[in-house]
Amino acid sequence: MIAALNAPLTVPPQVAASDSSAEIILFWVFASVGIGAALAMVTRRNIVHAALFLVLNFFAISGLFLGLQSSFLSIVQIIVYAGAIMILFLFVIMLLGVDRDDTFVERDVITRVAAVMAGTVVAATVVFAIIPAFGSDASVCGEFNVVEVVADSDDLPCVGLTDAIAASDNGSVGVVAERMFTRYTFVFELAGVLLTVATIGAMFLGKRHDVDDQDDTAWASDAPLPTMAQAEAVLAATHGIDPEGDPDGESAGEEN
Amino acid sequence: MPIGHYFAASAIMFAIGLGGVLVRRNAIVLFMCVELMLNAVNLTLAGASRVWGEADGQVFVFFVIVVAAAEVAVGLALVVNLFFRRGTTDVDAANLLKW
Repeated sequence: MIAALNAPLTVPPQVAASDSSAEIILFWVFASVGIGAALAMVTRRNIVHAALFLVLNFFAISGLFLGLQSSFLSIVQIIVYAGAIMILFLFVIMLLGVDRDDTFVERDVITRVAAVMAGTVVAATVVFAIIPAFGSDASVCGEFNVVEVVADSDDLPCVGLTDAIAASDNGSVGVVAERMFTRYTFVFELAGVLLTVATIGAMFLGKRHDVDDQDDTAWASDAPLPTMAQAEAVLAATHGIDPEGDPDGESAGEEN
Repeated sequence: MPIGHYFAASAIMFAIGLGGVLVRRNAIVLFMCVELMLNAVNLTLAGASRVWGEADGQVFVFFVIVVAAAEVAVGLALVVNLFFRRGTTDVDAANLLKW
């Protein structure tokens, strides 16, 4: 590889296409699973199901990280997101007992159409405006950081992460750690401060306060957890929605 | 594997999360949609890290995960508080500051 780096610049971008077909299979499997799980998460009415679909989505993204040669992130994704954050979500869902079918889907058709349009516009903007520049096989390590490579080399024609990881004693973790504890040391410490502040804030917010006269005392903390009918009554009071409204109207949102 | 494929998958997931934030009204589901959007951005950062062969993108992903964890801790505490004050996690029930 060192010899290859010293060779004159002959850059056939097609050489980059020589990456394994395993990555292609990996990508299509995990990308379709991830997008499908994301769609299912948004459209499920049962919050627990939505949370479990989100876990599936996190696992899929973790697999995509593997394809991007970021095995450290892949592990962190599973440990922190699927392991810690989603457990926190599920604990709160369990604690509040809000896992019943939620009636809180936005019923306003205009809002729904606007949401779909906003999502489409965002996705289309990115896909058509930014991605064509990265559409070729060579884009993985294309014209941005191509260095000297001989045309018949099997290696990717760039100092991409492949070479950086190969040069590190500790693989992907070493590459990330070396950057994190040199250039970004101060940011790393700030992140620690942020986590401390967030912990203190969560402890303060999670404490039960005395009932305030602004509170809806029907929902005082020593009352039994509200039933679905009571929740619908609150919904009706705060949003002017008839709780007896057509429940089949929800199904329109389920299939997008 | 063109890196644009990763970017496209990321953009689609981000758009799904955005649509979810706009459509759903349950605060917990809203938070989950925000997590989905953060993950989509993480995917883009990791892809850029691979394109440029620098680990900075992966470091940013790490910091985004840290901030997301802090955000979820505080946000879910807020949701619990809202639930005990209003009896629902509907975001429209938190209307004291509404003009």
